[in-house]
Amino acid sequence: MGMRDFVLRRAGVCIVTIFAVITVNFFLFRVMPASPVDMLVSPLLGEGVGGTETKEELIRSLGLDKPLWMQFVIYIQNVFTGNFGYSFITPRPVIGIISDGLLNTMVLMLAGNMLAILMAIVLGVLAAWKRGSRTDVMSLTLALTLSSMPMFWVGGIILMILSVRLGMFPLFGTTTIGLSHPNVLSYMVDYLHHLFLPMVTMGLVSFGGLFLITRSALVDVFSEDYIITAKAVGMSNRTTIFRNALRNAMLPLITMIAVRLGFMIGGSVLTETVFSWPGLGWIIYNAVNMRDYPILQGAFMIITIVVVLANFAADIIYGYLDPRVRVGASTHA
Amino acid sequence: MSSARLVIYRRRLGDFLKQFRESRLGILGFSILLFFIFTAVFANYLSHSSTKATEGVLSERLQPPSPSHWLGTDEVGRDLLTLIMYGGRISLLIGLLAALISGGIGALVGLISGFYGGWKDDVLMRGTDIMMVIPGLPLMVVLAATLGTSFWNIIFVISITGWTGTARIVRAQVLSLKERPFIESVRAIGASDSRIIGLHLLPNIFPLIVAEMVIRIGIAILSEASLAFLGLGDPLNISWGMTLNWAFSCGALSGNYWWYIIPPGICITLVVLGFTFVGYALDQIVNPRIRRR
Amino acid sequence: MSLLEIQNLKTYFEIRQGYVKAVDGVTLSMEKGDALGLAGESGCGKTTTALTIMRLLPSNGRVISGKILYEGSDILAMDDETLRKEIRWKRMSMVFQGAMNALNPVFTVGDQIAQAIRIHEDVTKEAAWQRVDELFSLVGINPERSKHYPHEFSGGMKQRAIIAMSLACNPSLVVADEPVTALDVIVQAQILNLIRSLRERLGLSMILITHDLSVIADTCNRSAIMYAGKIVELADTVTLFKRPEHPYTQGLLTNYPSIKEEKRRFAPIAGSPPDLLSPPSGCRFHPRCPRAKESCQSEEPELIEVERGHYVSCHR
Repeated sequence: MGMRDFVLRRAGVCIVTIFAVITVNFFLFRVMPASPVDMLVSPLLGEGVGGTETKEELIRSLGLDKPLWMQFVIYIQNVFTGNFGYSFITPRPVIGIISDGLLNTMVLMLAGNMLAILMAIVLGVLAAWKRGSRTDVMSLTLALTLSSMPMFWVGGIILMILSVRLGMFPLFGTTTIGLSHPNVLSYMVDYLHHLFLPMVTMGLVSFGGLFLITRSALVDVFSEDYIITAKAVGMSNRTTIFRNALRNAMLPLITMIAVRLGFMIGGSVLTETVFSWPGLGWIIYNAVNMRDYPILQGAFMIITIVVVLANFAADIIYGYLDPRVRVGASTHA
Repeated sequence: MSSARLVIYRRRLGDFLKQFRESRLGILGFSILLFFIFTAVFANYLSHSSTKATEGVLSERLQPPSPSHWLGTDEVGRDLLTLIMYGGRISLLIGLLAALISGGIGALVGLISGFYGGWKDDVLMRGTDIMMVIPGLPLMVVLAATLGTSFWNIIFVISITGWTGTARIVRAQVLSLKERPFIESVRAIGASDSRIIGLHLLPNIFPLIVAEMVIRIGIAILSEASLAFLGLGDPLNISWGMTLNWAFSCGALSGNYWWYIIPPGICITLVVLGFTFVGYALDQIVNPRIRRR
Repeated sequence: MSLLEIQNLKTYFEIRQGYVKAVDGVTLSMEKGDALGLAGESGCGKTTTALTIMRLLPSNGRVISGKILYEGSDILAMDDETLRKEIRWKRMSMVFQGAMNALNPVFTVGDQIAQAIRIHEDVTKEAAWQRVDELFSLVGINPERSKHYPHEFSGGMKQRAIIAMSLACNPSLVVADEPVTALDVIVQAQILNLIRSLRERLGLSMILITHDLSVIADTCNRSAIMYAGKIVELADTVTLFKRPEHPYTQGLLTNYPSIKEEKRRFAPIAGSPPDLLSPPSGCRFHPRCPRAKESCQSEEPELIEVERGHYVSCHR
């Protein structure tokens, strides 16, 4: 059994999961106590966005009069053609609004988590190597405390201190309103300037859990026999840690990152709301407040699919790093 | 219950308490929790403000801390200290109930899955995998937005997203217990499935479930706070999360009303830390994979 | 000059309740070409002695006193860099107890051996891998398997691979800690044969640590018996087996079943191994010794030479 079979197997699971997610998403909005008619139709009537069609016409055009299974099939088709309907509030297709936000969320997630992973590895190695020392205890305390804080609160405090009080960073958005950018560079600088605080917030909160896992994995690895072998063979500490130990400790770390992806997306929702960072999270927040259900449903769908795909990618990376896994054990327990 | 079993349970409880007392983290966590639970339960005796929590004196709105209002006032003039004390009730209650329910669901799923195996295991584990992949907060947001944000709805929404971890852990434990000789011998004697589960498996996994639940309480409190912040809290019940929500929406950040923002957050952090410490201490005592760290 | 001389070594482990006196005054020496067997019950200090020689003690291990002279230089006084670059693996190598886990699961076996070679010798990757192939043939593994991962090797093969690895830099001393304990009898015999033939071909000096006396009888020319952190008897293997002087050694050997002799009952040594946090006073063995007298409780016996090359630590 090699990489290829492994990848195929994981891809199969990924596809099944996506289908399950689509199904769940479909039923979530149809089998709610509030009938789909109320949720999807009434707002259109009231706002007049749908024009002057009657309720019946609207119901028919949205396909809500067809039997459930048929609606389901249509829904699947829609998902694959990217048709998520239209927003209630602005007459734009949902997919357009979502794709705008997707990029910003990706940037934030990537930046924030890279920061978190970097900090987690650096401190994790230090803490595990000097287990029980003051460095270790302090890092542990820091990580535990950070992960017990509400993410939006941390963001709020950072905003309050660094932006409101000290004025070092902007209050919201990705770029300064009204500022024109003569070239790409100035745009990027402005963007990064706006990105900094949300990125730090995401990094700080993700850091807690990641540090704990890294440290714990490294502590385990450091106590393994092959580390003693490495030392006996005459490897320097640095080579031992970075080449041998970390490679093994990466494995639980990657699994952990994959598992926490969902959690981190949630964090992104909160952080984006605090900093008014126009990503998917912020879109969801606004959709919730305005009861804009098509957007809510579409954004949720996209977020979930992205997470599933990211999990898949993590599985593949894990399979590359740990040869033992390719032989075909099932992934749970 | 026979008297012999009572004696065993009482002795086990004694051992457990002794071990718990030796855990410094556990004691610390427990003390923190005791403090907050105390202030929550006795909020109406402790709150020294003359106005009740639901009334506010508008002329005193948004005051920084002063001798008459130790933590200042909110945007309608209510004493924040009182609000926070009462808020503890809601936050703790929601956390506790949500953790209990999600722990129950998780334990049930893990038990059935681990014990019966076969297709039940496959189906349940697939379902768990899928639930684990779906991002928690977005799902909670969607559910809360469509179902409404009453007290019990919020608890439901949080529980429905939190049971997967417990399910996995319980299943693993059941699987390992299933292989033990004592289960085999009990089966050979002819015990029925429900007897094996109820009498032999449950007492062994119960401590693990409890340890899990305790940690989940902290997570549930954070989830409730996040939901409240996003506007999906119960407007009739002022949890710490709701307090923060109002703080944010009345411009506490830009207006620099730090007394509004900081205390509720600190309370949440401390309480979650408390549950984490206690849960960790419990886990050390209870987890069969005990390894010296 | 002896190859290895250990003078009054004391290695203690620091735990919360105090010090565990794992090695408490061990003196022995080895000549080039010797195969010294170090035997004793679990916890008698043999592995700790080996780890101290290689300076691979865990963080709570402390060398309280003593010298370890390897080819004349004191290992314990050496600085870390010299030890790492010059001694480790190049002059002394180790075959670990539980070699099953001594290999890193995420690298191929050949890769790990090549890594070891390239730390000490400035050679190209190809040259290193060539040596890997040579080593594999030496220990009886198909060189093609060097591209495989540890989990793809059987127990016996892993042991051979570990032995190959220990020979990678042509050390003059190999310390093997329970090299065959985890293997079944047939594979044990194969590995012991391998060890013996390697010794002959390469002129290796070895310290072989085990609790199984038959292994020592098979492969070592000198034997030392340890008990509770001290050496109780040290002699040529043949002498030790034929004329054991220390009661503990005698007890161990009596219980050796032989196919040739009549069936008889075992006479196990009474009592259990001592607590090394607070060991018994005087001779450590006295609580279990069938021939203990009063002085055994109060005075520690010295290692005395009773005949040429045969040392015993007993009051009799």
